[in-house]
Amino acid sequence: MQRRTVLIALLALLLLVPPAADAQKPIKVGFPMPLSGPAALYGDPALKGAQLFVEEINAKGGVLGRKIELLARDSKANADEAVRVSRELVLKENVDFLVGTLTSAEGPAVSVVAKENKIVFIAPIPKTDQLTAPDKLHPYIFRVAATTTMEGRSIAEIVAKWNVKRIATISFDYAYGQDVTRAFVEHIKRIKPGVEIVDQQWPKLGEADYTPFINAQMAKKPDAVFSSIWGGHFVTFSKQAKPLGYFDAIKYNLIGAGEIASPEATKAMGAEYPVGVWGNSYDAFYWQDAPPAHRDYTARLSKFLKDDAPSSWSIQTYMAMQFLVEAIKKAGSTDSDKVAKALLGLTVDTPHGKLTIRAKDHQANRGQLYGQTVRDPKYPFAIMKPMTYVDPTRFMD
Amino acid sequence: MPDLAFLFGQSLSGLTAAMFLFLVASGLSLIFGVLGVLNFAHGSFYMLGAYTAYQIVQWLGRDPASFWWAALGAAVSIAILGGLIERFLFRHLYGADVLYQLLFTYALVLILSDAAKVLWGTGQLSVSRPPGLTGAFKLWGTFVPYYNLFVLLLGPAIALLFWLLLTRTRSGRLIRAAALDREMLGALGVNVDRLYTGVFVVGSFLAGLGGALIAPVKAIVPGMDVEIIVEAFIVVVIGGLGSFWGTMLGALVYGQVLAFGILIFPRFSIFSVFALMAVVLILRPWGLLGRPLKS
Repeated sequence: MQRRTVLIALLALLLLVPPAADAQKPIKVGFPMPLSGPAALYGDPALKGAQLFVEEINAKGGVLGRKIELLARDSKANADEAVRVSRELVLKENVDFLVGTLTSAEGPAVSVVAKENKIVFIAPIPKTDQLTAPDKLHPYIFRVAATTTMEGRSIAEIVAKWNVKRIATISFDYAYGQDVTRAFVEHIKRIKPGVEIVDQQWPKLGEADYTPFINAQMAKKPDAVFSSIWGGHFVTFSKQAKPLGYFDAIKYNLIGAGEIASPEATKAMGAEYPVGVWGNSYDAFYWQDAPPAHRDYTARLSKFLKDDAPSSWSIQTYMAMQFLVEAIKKAGSTDSDKVAKALLGLTVDTPHGKLTIRAKDHQANRGQLYGQTVRDPKYPFAIMKPMTYVDPTRFMD
Repeated sequence: MPDLAFLFGQSLSGLTAAMFLFLVASGLSLIFGVLGVLNFAHGSFYMLGAYTAYQIVQWLGRDPASFWWAALGAAVSIAILGGLIERFLFRHLYGADVLYQLLFTYALVLILSDAAKVLWGTGQLSVSRPPGLTGAFKLWGTFVPYYNLFVLLLGPAIALLFWLLLTRTRSGRLIRAAALDREMLGALGVNVDRLYTGVFVVGSFLAGLGGALIAPVKAIVPGMDVEIIVEAFIVVVIGGLGSFWGTMLGALVYGQVLAFGILIFPRFSIFSVFALMAVVLILRPWGLLGRPLKS
């Protein structure tokens, strides 16, 4: 009985302590991200990127004299779950801002939550055009990832330089696959009118057996292929395509959207990787001609993750947090309306150089790294060499 | 008109897919035929077979025969796991309502998939083709990977072996008898419990073997359990649940329909298979080679 009284007294004392003044309270950032299931492979390093930034900014005293607190929640790569945890973050935790989501299903869903609650939401990774399409745009949604249009067009710009005429495509039959493929096909026809699209294959998302699709495509004798079979699915695809002579038939003129040349993807496949194909990545720790800020960032990330070959996904959330903090600084406030206004046309010096969020569609001119994969004796997995950062500013509209 | 080499290649790819499906679906069909339980967790055994094969390859390292040991080791481990699950868990479900059986096997699916995530993580894992079977040869204008040829030969070999086992041996006769009337068989002095465990072990062995053999042509990922169980169900529904040759026929039909379906409906590859299943269910609800259920 007595112990209980003491406990209650203690609790009462705790409740009686006056809350710290507002200025010392941390700025809360809600962070919905897939942290379990297959998508956690990318969600985990994405969380780490944001954590690294928060650690760095807090060490410098935070922003407006306040620290930043990151509240991560598992969105399970599922739109409903992402909405549920975002609502919980906004209503129960009273977060000031939302940063996060990975898939193109989660991004637009959380955007609705941001609109309802009038709080700024920065999407670091979802690529679907829908997220910032004119009918879906609202004052609080911003994106620092490339869009499907930008990704498809970047690839078209590269393929236009190849000496190829007969082009085929293979993509999953769902939003991302369709959108990025359409962007590629439309752009390549515009900038290189001589090319012919000889074949288009549409396996279902997560197809287990690509052999019939590969045979059907080879029968049309393309000399180059655009693929958006992303991430781990590319492992299965190329394991089946290689012995069928697919890559030899197209002389390795395959270019893949969906980060198939990221260090994570080439590492996962090791000796099985069809070295010679082209691909893209958000980042590459081995980037030779990177801006000086990148080398420094990579060293810090490497230390933070305790990994000599740190993830290529962390950069996206690092950038998103950078934009948020710069906007808070510019606005001199954590009021979402003021921060949203500050984000319009804001330019930030990121590890990949200067990036700007356009006022008209809230979209950053974020490019990606593209290159041909080669073996390099320095690494136990394939790397991109030469590798270029394709700046999409010219062809965003 | 597409050229013949292409049609040949397409049908070969359908045949290869059919052999993988047959390995998994035959175990599912066998267990249902004899034990009367629809085992949802059969796909999980297949997935665990793939993961176990990966694990054994990692342990053995650069040994050129590592893949073969891995395939055998995976199939045997999954067979033992299946035996334990039958002996200690399934046994209590015979005669229970079908709903309980389904719920129980579904719970197993969830438990085993989470266990796999704890043990091997969520990343994609990859097993290389065994040395000697890495390349391909050209046949009538089509590349045929050696590994696919091996699977094409292994499938019928296993089918034949099982058919002989079921029709020519005493255990085979007992298994068929157990499928027809369990109580009568027990009354005649046969240890039906042991027979059931045996059948479950054999079915699990096939699932584990299927998973190990698919590892070199697929990424090993969480979720492959649910993917295969749907396909295996379609196969046994088309062929006839519990019918041995029906499963073979169902797998062959599935493979060919998928391979050629994409030429007719390029945007609806999976649609052709589901359409076929619907037609079979309407015209012959008991499957192509199954027996109508007595009501």
